[in-house]
Parts: sequence; structure tokens; C-alpha cells
Amino acid sequence: MPTRKSESSPSAPEVKQPHTNGSKAANAPAVKRPQPPIGKNPWGIPDWRLEQPPFHIESDWSGEEYRYKVVGDTNTPVPPLRPSKYLSKEQTLEIYRYMIINRQMEAALESMYKQSKVIGGLYLSLGQEATSVASAYALDRDDWLGPMIRNQGSMVVRGYEPSSAMMQYMAKGTSPTKGRDSGSHYGDPKKLNVIAPISHLGDSIGVLSGVALGARLQGREIACLAYIGDGGQSTGPTYEGFNFAAVRKLGVVLVVEHNSWAYSTPVELQFACKDLADRAIGYGVPGVIVDGTDANQVYDATHEAVERAHRGEGASIIEAKLMRMKGHAMHDAAVYVPSAVKEYWQRRDPIVRMEQYLKETGWMTEAQMKEVHAEVQRYMDQEREQAEAAPMPSPEEAGTDVYFDNGVDIPVKYGEVRVKQSNVGRKLSESSAPGHYK
Amino acid sequence: MAAVTYLEAIRQAIWEEMERDSRVFVLGEDVAIYGGAFKVTEGFIHKFGMERVVDTPISEMAIASAAYGASLTGLRPVAEFQFMDFISSAHSQIVQILAKSNWRWGAPAPLVLRGPSGGGVSGGPFHSQNPEMFYVHTPGLKVIAPATARDAKGLMKSAIRDNNPVLFFEHKFLYRRVKEELPQEDYTIEIGKARVHREGRDLSVITYGAMLYTAQEAADLLAKEDIQLEIIDLRTLLPLDREAIRRTTEKTNRVLVLHEDTKTGGIAGEIAAIINEEAFDALDAPIARIAALDAPVPFSPPLEKAFLPQVGDVVREARRLVKY
Ligand SMILES: Cc1ncc(C[n+]2csc(CCOP(=O)(O)OP(=O)(O)O)c2C)c(N)n1
Ligand SMILES: [Mg+2]
Repeated sequence: MPTRKSESSPSAPEVKQPHTNGSKAANAPAVKRPQPPIGKNPWGIPDWRLEQPPFHIESDWSGEEYRYKVVGDTNTPVPPLRPSKYLSKEQTLEIYRYMIINRQMEAALESMYKQSKVIGGLYLSLGQEATSVASAYALDRDDWLGPMIRNQGSMVVRGYEPSSAMMQYMAKGTSPTKGRDSGSHYGDPKKLNVIAPISHLGDSIGVLSGVALGARLQGREIACLAYIGDGGQSTGPTYEGFNFAAVRKLGVVLVVEHNSWAYSTPVELQFACKDLADRAIGYGVPGVIVDGTDANQVYDATHEAVERAHRGEGASIIEAKLMRMKGHAMHDAAVYVPSAVKEYWQRRDPIVRMEQYLKETGWMTEAQMKEVHAEVQRYMDQEREQAEAAPMPSPEEAGTDVYFDNGVDIPVKYGEVRVKQSNVGRKLSESSAPGHYK
Repeated sequence: MAAVTYLEAIRQAIWEEMERDSRVFVLGEDVAIYGGAFKVTEGFIHKFGMERVVDTPISEMAIASAAYGASLTGLRPVAEFQFMDFISSAHSQIVQILAKSNWRWGAPAPLVLRGPSGGGVSGGPFHSQNPEMFYVHTPGLKVIAPATARDAKGLMKSAIRDNNPVLFFEHKFLYRRVKEELPQEDYTIEIGKARVHREGRDLSVITYGAMLYTAQEAADLLAKEDIQLEIIDLRTLLPLDREAIRRTTEKTNRVLVLHEDTKTGGIAGEIAAIINEEAFDALDAPIARIAALDAPVPFSPPLEKAFLPQVGDVVREARRLVKY
């Protein structure tokens, strides 16, 4: 059987250290601004949003065809961002820049897709940048991230360069998986602490529970940030994985990205409750609802959940309400989404909303914002150039590394395993108790 | 020195590995204060502490994924499935996440998933299965199914020390039925190596698990007719010991593959294909397969007996092949 040789190990290209300005940053203190009151949903779950979309989707018979129609008002005014309780000006500006990187990276990918440079499908997160970026930004270096297909922005915050995603999508030999897996399915267990997602929805949650358990055995309470969609949360592994974390008070922070659609299925056909944060009650963990297009809300809620995890108090659920602004993947024009809904969310573009906030706070002028866009554009052009020039994998790599070499010692990540109470002198005595079957 | 049961051999292996290496810990349903449904981890919690002997909710997917997650932090989890029948509930996690991990993203997963499999105890269709072939068909895993106490201990130690996900199928019929003296010193048995259980000249029976003893009984009977069976105990199913299969085929020129798993898609087909590739010219007779019926495992003793291969089946087929 093919064995992985330690010298020729398929380690990812050198990546910069993960971002460290998260919750433990010794940065300038947050700027105190008056906080609008926090509401509660009918089950008592805190709802930090400053508006609640007063419409929903129903299946409708036109007389000739079925389609989805929107019921309610989609023309309500856009509120400002909720001021952050924790973010400094510098951190806010960094989040802003990461959101622009997220967006421009996907614009580049889209252009590459249209030039037939992308192999396979392309999944975009337009409109979801605030959720990806601001949540990942709340993690510390030793914490872990379990992204989903639309969390490319989180991976950049964690330390991946956009060229990694680009090479992945182009199936390059120098991509993090050396061309073995597609798109956003990459990760790094050593430095960046990012789980390489698998397609099967919900499967990373139980894995992150195990990571948190492993860290605890080594004397550390860490936060493990997992994402799941409004569709993906319907799966069994989601329940088993998260319940395990809840029972063992492991620091899994589950961000439920309620982006209103799962491929072509609206949330109305996915679950019967109105808010997915309600599930927190059943798991026995705290839950909150935030506006997923408001980076401040996303950051603050994740920061609190991450702090809780670091204190060893256990798991949390954050439901981020937002909208998938493109189709499921590039092939899907999402014609099933009523246009009034798209327009409602277009007015809630997370970057535009953040820019409005930066103007109101006086933290950036319009000219400065333009310069950020231009600077990121230059960076993205370089990343793209580098990714496009990268070589394809060599065919011999298809069947190598199926197994890891037994000659290599796998070190513990956080330190030696320690146990509080145990009878170390005890000897193994023969089991005399009856087993389940004779 | 007292003889040790197959069950105690497994207990000793895990216990000694936990003593030797603090990275090793166990998790599973009812494994802590109760000590497991078959008492494999009885007493472990008192010696090693509650951190290293972890009771889980009834969540096989979570058990497999959490073991994997912990392995990503450098630990070496040994996870118990209360019955290997329930491994099907974690099938997706095992074949999708664990098996592809090193290949896909360079994340080795040093862990063991273990538990009781096999029939002969009237466990019925959900407590008697041999689900090993689902995993033998999955690159990235290693699959072990020991038949003796000595092998169970040595292979369990190797499994725990291995840097890859290892599935360890114990045979619950053997737990307290077979016994032998074990070496005093720390020993391991190499994964991927079959063992000649009995030397013979006329016919090779290639088998594993509890069927080893069926083959042995048949060999004792046939010896009286001067038919000398060679018995090969595979011990590891993935990777298969192709060399041992070739060697015995070239020696006896007649092969009978015997297993408790159902026939279609069982490992006998794979072994026949290996012989075809490696030692076709050595054959003096067609390869014979004796396996369980292509049916679920029945509950009632007369039905289960009809379902499982019997000594008489081996004797009959052996006589036929030798005369061929
Ligand atoms: C277990 C499983 N079943 C089906 C799929 C195919 N699939 C991939 S993404 C998707 C929709 C996911 O929707 P959601 O979880 O809401 O995430 P979003 O695409 O909105 O980000 C489906 C059905 C899958 N990946 N995994
Ligand atoms: Mg969705």
C-alpha cells in the first residue's frame, strides 16, 4: 500500500500565521457607543437584529406552474449597523479589508470560471462576507475553524492567501490538497487549525467536538468555530456532533448561516421552527440571533461565545440571518428566488452597510475606502497571476499518501495529557462481570 | 503462568498501551463506570481517570468524528462501538472523513475503532454481523480481525501504535471461549501479515476470525483420512497478505476460502482474484468458497446454524477438492 514519506509530505505551501487580533488582542479598547436594546424571540432567545424581515416565502400555483412567491413587505428601510461592544477602530478597519478581500477574491474566481479556468463547480458567498469574516476574526491562534463551502473569507482571516482558494479551484498541483480535492475543501491541522471540509453537510461539527475534547485532555479550553447552513443543519451528524459538544461542555461555537436557501429549497421547507437558534434550548446551550450582514453583531456574538469556550463553559449557537445572493453554484441562476427578496437583501450588502458605518463613525473617508478597494485589487491581481501560473499535479500523486508513515511521531498539539483524579497504582484485574452475550 | 482469554488479551493490550502512552484514551457508550457492554474497559476509569475514559451519548457518528478530531490534536483514541453492527451508523464519517484524511489534506488520523462482531451467540440480525468488507473496500483504512488471544493482544497494540485509522473487529463468540498463555513481555504483531496456523500439504484453508476454529475441527477430522489441511489465519484483512496467499497456494495447490461473512462480496472473492493474479499456474483444483448464506443473520439457533458455515461443510468441500 502507498505510504506517505515524511520527506515528500504534501504539506501545504507556506502560509502566513493566522490572524491574531481576535478576542485576546491587546489592541486599542473598543469605542463605547450607545447600544440599542436587544430583543427576544418568542422562546426567549436574544435577537440582536435591528430589524426582522417582515416577509416569508410560500409555494404558489400560478394557474399553470408552481413557483415561490413572497408574502409580506420587502420595502422596509435599512437600519444602521449595531455598534460593536468590543471592536476597536483598527480591528473594524481590518474586518472591513478582509470583507473586501473575500469579495474580490470571489469576483476573481468568477472571472476565472467564465474563462473556463476553474475545474468543476464554483460556490460563491456574495452577501455573506460579514458572517464569514467577523466570526473567524473572533478566534485566537490556538482555536480551530471548521469552514463550509461559502466560508472562503473565514479561511483568509485564518491565514490562507487567496491564491490557495484559486489554486484549489483550478485543481493545481501546488494547491493545499495538491489537486486531490476541490474548491474550498482544504485545511491545515498544524499551523492554521482549519479543518478541511468534506461535502457531507454537518460532518465537521463532531470533528470539532473531538478537537476540543483533545485540547481539554491536554489541559486547554479552546474554541472551535463550526459553520452550518439552514439546509445542512437538518442532517443527523449536525445533531450528534453538536449534542456531544453540549453534553461535554466543549467549546464548539456553531454559526448557523441562515441564508434562506439550501440549493433551491427555501427555509420554509427545511424546518418548522422560525428561528434555528431555538434549537439551543433543546441542546441546553445559549443561543443568539444576529443579522448576518452586520459585521459588528456577528463579531460581538462570536466573541462572547469564544470567550465562553475559553472559560470552559461550553458550546453556543449563533444564528446569522442573511441571504445567499447568487445561485447554489455558478451553474444555478437561482431563478426560483423571487426578485423582491433579492432586492431586499441587495440593499443590505454587508460591505456597503459597513462603509456607511465607517462614514458615520468618521473612521474612514470615502477616498480612503476607495484606496482600500484599489490596494486589495492589486493584491488580488498578484494572487491570481501566481495561482494561474502554478503547475498541474503530476499523475503519480493520485495514489500516494493514502496512508501515513508509521516511522513519524505525531506530536501532541497542546501539551501532555493530564488527569485530575485517578488511582494510578491500580492493577488490571480479570473481568468477572457477565458480558452482554455469553 | 495462567492462560488468558481473548477478551482479557484485548483488555490487557489497551490497558498496557494506556499505561505506556498518555496520548491513548478510550471513548464509547457505557465504557466508563460500567466498563463496556462486554467489560473490555472494566476498571479503566479508576486507573486512568475520567478524562481518559469517556462515556458518550448514543451517537456513533459523534464517536467516530470526535475520535478523529481528538486524533488531529495528536492523541490516539480507541473508540468502542458497543456492537460492530452499529458501525453502520458511522459509516459516512469513517469512509468519508477518516479514510481520506491523510491523502486529502495531509492530516494523519492515528485512531482505533473497535468492537464485537460476528455470530454464533443468537444475537440476531443486529448484533451478529460481520461488516468488515464495507471497510476493506475503503482505501485509507486498515482492517484487523484476530482469531486468537495472542494475536488479539499483539495486533491491538500495533493498531494503537499505528498512525492511521484502524478498524478492529473483535469476535464476540471468542471473547471468553478461547484462551492461551501469552508472552510476559511487551509484544506486537505486525499488521498486514497472515499466519500459518497449521501446516499441511494437501489443501489450504484460508480463513479468519471464529472460522479458524471451524477449520481446525475439520482439519482434525480429515487428518484421520490422511488429508492434511494447511490453515492460514489472515488476521489482517486490509492490507491483505498477498505473499502468504501466494505461498500457501504454491505449496498445496488447492485452496478453500472460509469465512463467516456472507458470500457475495466477501473476502473470498478478493482472495480468489489474488490467486488468479499471483499463482494461477499453481492451482490443481478450482478455488472453493465457504461462507455464510447471502441473508441477514438469523436469531433462532437452528436458523443461525443453517446460516453459518459448519465443520461438515469444510470436510465435504475439502474431500471434493482433494479428489479433483
Ligand atoms: C449530506 C449531504 N447531502 C447533500 C449534499 C448536497 N448539497 C451540497 S450543498 C447543498 C445545499 C446546502 O444548503 P445550506 O446548508 O443552506 O448551505 P448554503 O448552500 O445555503 O450555504 C446540498 C443539498 C451534501 N453536500 N451533503
Ligand atoms: Mg442555506
